Amino acid sequence: MNKIYARRRRVDILVKFLCAGSAAFGLIWLGLILFTLLSNGLGGLRASVFTQMTPPPGAVEGGLANALAGSLIMTLIAVAIGAPLGMLAATYLAEYGKHEKLSAVIRFVNDILLSAPSIIIGLFIYGAVVVPMGGFSALAGSLALAVIAIPIVVRTTEDMLYLVPTPLREASAALGMPRSLVIRRILYRAARTGIITGVLLATARAAGETAPLLFTVLSNQFWSLDLTTAMANLPVTINNFVQSPYAYWKQLAWTGALIITLAVLGLNIGARVLGAERSKT
Amino acid sequence: MNDMSLTAETRAGARPVKFAVNNLNFYYGGARALKNITFDLETNRVTAFIGPSGCGKSTLLRVLNRIYELYPAQRAEGEVLLDGKSILDPSVDVNLLRARVGMVFQKPTPFPMTIHDNIAFGIRLYEKLPKSELDGRIESALRSAALWSEVKDKLNASGLSLSGGQQQRLCIARTVAIKPEVILFDEPCSALDPLSTAKIEELIDELKASYTIAVVTHNMQQAARVSQYTAFMYLGELVEFDVTEKMFMAPKKKQTQDYITGRFG
Repeated sequence: MNKIYARRRRVDILVKFLCAGSAAFGLIWLGLILFTLLSNGLGGLRASVFTQMTPPPGAVEGGLANALAGSLIMTLIAVAIGAPLGMLAATYLAEYGKHEKLSAVIRFVNDILLSAPSIIIGLFIYGAVVVPMGGFSALAGSLALAVIAIPIVVRTTEDMLYLVPTPLREASAALGMPRSLVIRRILYRAARTGIITGVLLATARAAGETAPLLFTVLSNQFWSLDLTTAMANLPVTINNFVQSPYAYWKQLAWTGALIITLAVLGLNIGARVLGAERSKT
Repeated sequence: MNDMSLTAETRAGARPVKFAVNNLNFYYGGARALKNITFDLETNRVTAFIGPSGCGKSTLLRVLNRIYELYPAQRAEGEVLLDGKSILDPSVDVNLLRARVGMVFQKPTPFPMTIHDNIAFGIRLYEKLPKSELDGRIESALRSAALWSEVKDKLNASGLSLSGGQQQRLCIARTVAIKPEVILFDEPCSALDPLSTAKIEELIDELKASYTIAVVTHNMQQAARVSQYTAFMYLGELVEFDVTEKMFMAPKKKQTQDYITGRFG
């Protein structure tokens, strides 16, 4: 065999091995995390987790009902605020403001926001909402999560709108449709699964965030649906329980961590499945 | 350039002028893409625009429905009259203009919705019809695009499920459905196979009974087959405009002769 070619073949095999090895290295940690969560959390996963309130220190029964409800409510409010705002902002960037200098600035700022440490966002909401309102509140927590969700929705929606072929825009305009109608009835429809995928990813991200909640809603031992006061939530509850000396609290923390991980995993898988369906059509 | 444009008076048996273009210039930012273009489009006739890539023929077509205005850096200067009225005037509503001047694009562009809705959508932009009447309009649009027999049993299937040639005819049906006066075809067959191409060409020939048609094409045989008038463009200029037969049998300009005999382009 030719020397040059033999060398190229060796390099080829080496590169393939390095790539596969790196992929396996990443997957091992995900597998270990899931395994640890399952082995520690599965034991405590029973119906009472979903029906009973978080227990007082030292108790040997109780669940996470208030924390689960609180997380659900705040995540939903965050997405309800963040998704439409993010979509409209992305629509400006991709459609109306495509040729404006302002768009480049907004896009840059959005990318910074996308990678901003979430604790900073928590601190910002603390200063902007918690202090003026005079205390921790679920509303402040929801706003903090919304600030986490918005840049993700902006980014994915904008990318999805760019994927809609230009001739479709021209064909729509050529029928005499005003721009807003083209956007609402044709472009959103063409990009629908991609946009939904982005919203799901943003939901998953918001659902799993702890840092923005620490300064904004704190947590609550009791059942509360009042948006103006502190509300129980899963991430902060896990954070509190896992640091405690009580065995039952620790068990609940593991179970809570398992629930939140499965929920986030489920949302991500859902987003992937939707994305895969999109690429088929 | 006026000697090249055949005006209605100079030709026996000529039909009324639908589009009159005088001294049209077009700019992409600072680059001048069309240079003092002057010609007329006759009513109920097919006019073909040929020329090598980048000669400005598509650009010219895109002025006629002002679709270029989607892009802020593009602008047109000169006079373009539709039925004697200027369309470049800022006071002209582009959407109403586009309802009168339809366009079919190079790549089929079905909307992401059912076959039925693809056509209903355009109609609903301008008219509120009872369902029975709407369905009738959809059927007649699909018939005039020679697509009805192929899709009548699956009107609720996605427009994207059709073949490329069918999608293109769906786009023609969609354009026809809103009853325009002029239809602009921008290389309508370049993404299609020969059989689909033949169908679209037949269709263009039939449509001229009701519409004024302009076709941009890379394919000279196609121009010869479908058109009554042909315009040859080169480097942003309208080199020659004549009755199609004359153009292909006895072109007046050497550039035209070179192009249609395949010596360049």
